[in-house]
Amino acid sequence: MSDKKKSWSDGIAEALPLAIAIGAYGLSYGVLAVQAHFSWISAVAMSMFVFSGSVQLITVAMLTSGASVGSVFVTATLLNLRNLLYGAALAEGIAPAKKWRWLLSFGVSDEPFVLGSSRFKKYGPDPLYFAVVAGTFYFVWVVSSLVGSLMSNQADPQKWGLDLAFPVTFAALLIPGIREKPAVATALAAVFIALGLEAWQPGNEWTIIVTGMVAPFAGLYWSRGDRQHA
Amino acid sequence: MLNHWLLIGLLSVSTYLSRLLGVEVMAGRRMSPVLRLYFSYVPIGIMSALIIKQVFLPAGGELTFSPPVLLGCLAAAIVMKISNLFLPSVVVGVVIGWFVRYFGG
Repeated sequence: MSDKKKSWSDGIAEALPLAIAIGAYGLSYGVLAVQAHFSWISAVAMSMFVFSGSVQLITVAMLTSGASVGSVFVTATLLNLRNLLYGAALAEGIAPAKKWRWLLSFGVSDEPFVLGSSRFKKYGPDPLYFAVVAGTFYFVWVVSSLVGSLMSNQADPQKWGLDLAFPVTFAALLIPGIREKPAVATALAAVFIALGLEAWQPGNEWTIIVTGMVAPFAGLYWSRGDRQHA
Repeated sequence: MLNHWLLIGLLSVSTYLSRLLGVEVMAGRRMSPVLRLYFSYVPIGIMSALIIKQVFLPAGGELTFSPPVLLGCLAAAIVMKISNLFLPSVVVGVVIGWFVRYFGG
């Protein structure tokens, strides 16, 4: 099999299992975006132009809880800082694409990072593989967002309990990420910080930003022993 | 509505810039492992805060506790922990929350 064909076939085969999960997130996002008063067009446009599950889900959740555009933007920027790490790690693997790497950069996010970095480690730079993986995820994300937003248009959120989908979605997203003690410490610290801020000033829009910035220090503190032994 | 499109524009630029800067500027630079860890914990902090803001809702200057949201979240978390399947976990969480809301008194 030629290298190009192998990049294609491996890219699709390895992206598909994750694409199913991304489709599920996309459905949730579509439903939640319409609840946050996005039209189906703007919900899908956000998927097309932003293409970031975490940023988009957190954006619609914050808007639903009454946050301003400014605080959503600050929180999203904080979340986006990890793309700097992903991009740095993937840069060498997509470098042979020359100027096309500017387009490939659009695909830098959680799942393409996982697949791309493991591929480059094994086989060296392979921009085509990265393009196939990111393209598959992009297609699934946009289509599932569309289906979710059209589904949400057909149902009364309160009647069917769809408003519960916001916190429940975040609970389900959170669990896979809190397997290690430092991550659990971060989540617990976040609960206490957020509760404290909400008790001090109910409904204030800085709770999420401040918690997102401060709670990770609990994880760092907890992991200091591991880092010292590493 | 205009705010939504403005936000989509801002988020598109901010997200793409963070990706491009990583590929173009950060490549080849050594980054502190501590900073790397810090960024990996940021989404956990933000998602936990979002859940708390839904479990404790502001009403008339005070916080009101919402059992349906808390029990729905707990159910989704348990199903996710056991099955590792996202969509079924969300469905179970919503159904449990819905039952608590309508039949929990």
